[in-house]
Order: sequence, then C-alpha cells, then structure tokens
Amino acid sequence: MDQQAIFLTVRLATLTTLILLAISIPLGYWLAFGRARWKPLVEAAVALPLVLPPTVLGFYLLVLMGPRTAAGRAVSVVFGHPLAFSFAGLVVGSVLFSLPFAVQPMTSGFRSVDREILEAAELLSPGRGRILVRVLLPLIRPFLLTAAVLAFTHTVGEFGVVLMIGGNIPGVTRTLSISIYDQVQDFAYTQANHTALLLLGLSFLALLIIYGRRGRAGV
Amino acid sequence: MFRRGRLLVLIVAALQVCFYLHAQENGTLKIAAAADLQPVLPALIAEFEQQSHQKVEASYASSATLATQILNGGPFDLFLSADLSFPQKVVAAGLADSAEPLPYARGTLVLWARNDSPVQPLSIESLRSSALRTVAVANAEHAPYGRAAKAAIAKLGLADALKGKLVVAENIAQTAQYADSGNADAGLISLTSALTPRLSADGKYVAMPEDSYPPLLQGAVVIKGGPAAEEAHQFLTFLLSPPIRKQLAERGLKAP
Repeated sequence: MDQQAIFLTVRLATLTTLILLAISIPLGYWLAFGRARWKPLVEAAVALPLVLPPTVLGFYLLVLMGPRTAAGRAVSVVFGHPLAFSFAGLVVGSVLFSLPFAVQPMTSGFRSVDREILEAAELLSPGRGRILVRVLLPLIRPFLLTAAVLAFTHTVGEFGVVLMIGGNIPGVTRTLSISIYDQVQDFAYTQANHTALLLLGLSFLALLIIYGRRGRAGV
Repeated sequence: MFRRGRLLVLIVAALQVCFYLHAQENGTLKIAAAADLQPVLPALIAEFEQQSHQKVEASYASSATLATQILNGGPFDLFLSADLSFPQKVVAAGLADSAEPLPYARGTLVLWARNDSPVQPLSIESLRSSALRTVAVANAEHAPYGRAAKAAIAKLGLADALKGKLVVAENIAQTAQYADSGNADAGLISLTSALTPRLSADGKYVAMPEDSYPPLLQGAVVIKGGPAAEEAHQFLTFLLSPPIRKQLAERGLKAP
C-alpha cells in the first residue's frame, strides 16, 4: 500500500477539516441567526460545490488562478509558488470543494437550538462570543462532529480536483484516490484493492460514528 | 396524483426505448484513441465520415486507461494506442481479432514552452537551467509519451537537474495543458500537441533527440466481435492510405 499517500491524505484532510471548522462556525451562526436580505445569495454560493462537477473547480483553479492572470499572480506572491502542483493548492481546492459539508450541518445545528434557551443565555451571560462558546457549541456538539467527519471524509474522497491541479507528485499531491487510480491503470488490481478496502472500511466507520451518535442523541 | 405518476413512468419508458432504438440502428464505429491523437483525429474522422457515410465516435484518454476499459468490457471497436504494449495486452487477453497490433504511426517527443516562459530561448539545455521551476511530463506508467520522457531524461543525464521539478499529468493532452496554461514552465509533450494552432501561437518547441528514447511506435487493434469490427478495419485502411499518412506526418505522426 502507498503509505506516503496515506500520510499525505490524512494531513490534507486534517488541515482542511480544521480550516473548514474555523470557517463554518461563524458562517453557520450567521446563516442561522443573521437577518441580511442577501443571505440566500451566500447560502446558494456555499451549496454550489454540491451541484457543480469538480472539474469546474479544477478548471478555474488551474486557469483563473494560474500564473497567467492577475489573481493567480497575487496568489503566487502569497504562497511563493502557483497553486497548481502544490500541497497548498490542494488545501485551497479541498476547502472550497468540501465547504457545504461543514457549513450545512453547522447551520442546521444552530437552527435547532431552542429560542428560549438562547434568550435565557442572553439574559444571564451577556456577550455573543461567550454564549457561542459556553452555550451554543456544547449544545450542538453532534452537529459539530457531523461537520468535522463529513469534511474529513469528503476531502479523503476528493478526486476530480486533485487529478486536474495536483500533478501527481509523491508526498505532495498524490493522494489516496489518485494512488488507487494509478494502481488500476497499471493493472495492479491487488494493490488497488487493498487501498480501496482501507478507504471503504474507514469511510463506513466514520459514517457509522455519525449515525450511531445521532441515534442516541435523537438528533 | 396516481395518474400523473403513471404518465411520468410511461414517458420515461418511451424515452428509454427511443434511446435504445437510436443506439441500435446507427451502428456507430467507436474508437478508443490515445490522447496524443486528440489534436489529429477529429479532422480525419470527419473526412472518413464524409467518404464512407459511417458514423464514428472517438474517446480520448491515456493508452493505459483505454486498455483497462477494453479489458473490462469497454464498448469499443478499435483501439488506437500510443505504443505497442497496451494493444499487446488486449491481444494477450484474447480480445483482439489479430495476433499482433498493427503499427500505424510513430510519435515524436518534444520539449515545449510558452513564449513568456522563463526558459526561453528554448533548447534541450533549458532543462538544466536554474530558471526552470517545473516541467510537465505524462505519467510514465500509463502514458507512452511519459515513458519516453522518463527514458530521455535518464539517457540525457537530466535526472539530477530535474529532481523535484517534474509534475506528472494523467495523459499527454493534460501535459500540454499544464504547460500551455503556464502552470508549468515547460512540458515534454507530443509533437501532435505542439503543432496545434493554439500551441504554435503560444510557444515554441524543440524535438528531443530521437536516440534518447525508444521509438514511440503506435499500434492499433480491432476488438474481436465488436458490433462495428468491419468498419474498424475500413478505418484502419483509411488511416494507412498515402494521403492520410501525409496528413498525419504534417500533424506530428510519422510513418511507423
């Protein structure tokens, strides 16, 4: 089995999940409680990766964020290299690609909180930040877990974007899904089967954790 | 509600029948073509269709991808590989109607870079340049041009100079895309890609020394028992005819 690809994929998925949680907590809060008129615009934008083929994202990352556009050159200055063929590029791609998988559970979590509890909390302990950390987040812990697991597993399962912008560099951009693809191309069906079985098992386990907890929490 | 549901089922079923009949009647010749043919084949197919009134559809991918698909029952009548080893696999699996792949062309590996690339003016020595940050190559395991690139890099003693600079594309068409989009500073691509109007306008190429890689002999096999096997043989004859040979040569594929 391609151990380098396993480590790389775990590193990519962990980093992506952390970034997505940092984004999805405030964004989910705002989507649940915000009252802006243009909220549907943001909701639609967040959900886009659910419906768009990964090739659309891959195409724009490669061409629009490539060295031939101003935006792409700005990105090159920030990272010191173009997005394509780099780990940073995969992280950016994964965060965009898995965004709805983290944001949508968080939004439903915040929406599920009883208004009365929220009002009581506002009376007792002023400050939105404190309410968020002390009251809201503990209340919606199952949703937080769902968001984290889905973001992680969806990143592990990413293929199209990586194939388009990765460049298949061992230890940098050759993720497990690419590794399996290569093994199938090379007629190494036994190896492909081992890697695929590992992914199948882990993914099933991850989903089992979510549904198992949901069952007990009654969410 | 129930009636509407039944109507919907009826419409869906009718559509399925239409699609099925359509697929049955036209007897399309389905070609699995190596990615280096992507810039060349569409024009030839159009010409063949006009001559023979035979409908042709081509699918492009790396030779290994296509071989995998054919070995697993992919619905093709003709396999145009970019080497001999992948069609030999199809022969070995008993899926070809000949004992040997038929060589139909010879490919050329070139080094290509955009006009605004840091390695211009381009020469083989550019591959040793420190200004060069990334070179796109095709996957050596499943794209014949990638195998040729790997051999050339070893033969020309470039392995150390290129260490950490290679980015690997899935097939030779994607390799050209990486270089043309500027994401890679240069690419080891097929002459067929380098000669397209787009890449001719965007950059320049130098051919890799012919003795630096094993000849890129491209082989074809007709799939045994395919619905359009006869048409596949017709297409092969067409492909090997002198006027088409000449066109192929102009577009980057020499006679085998």
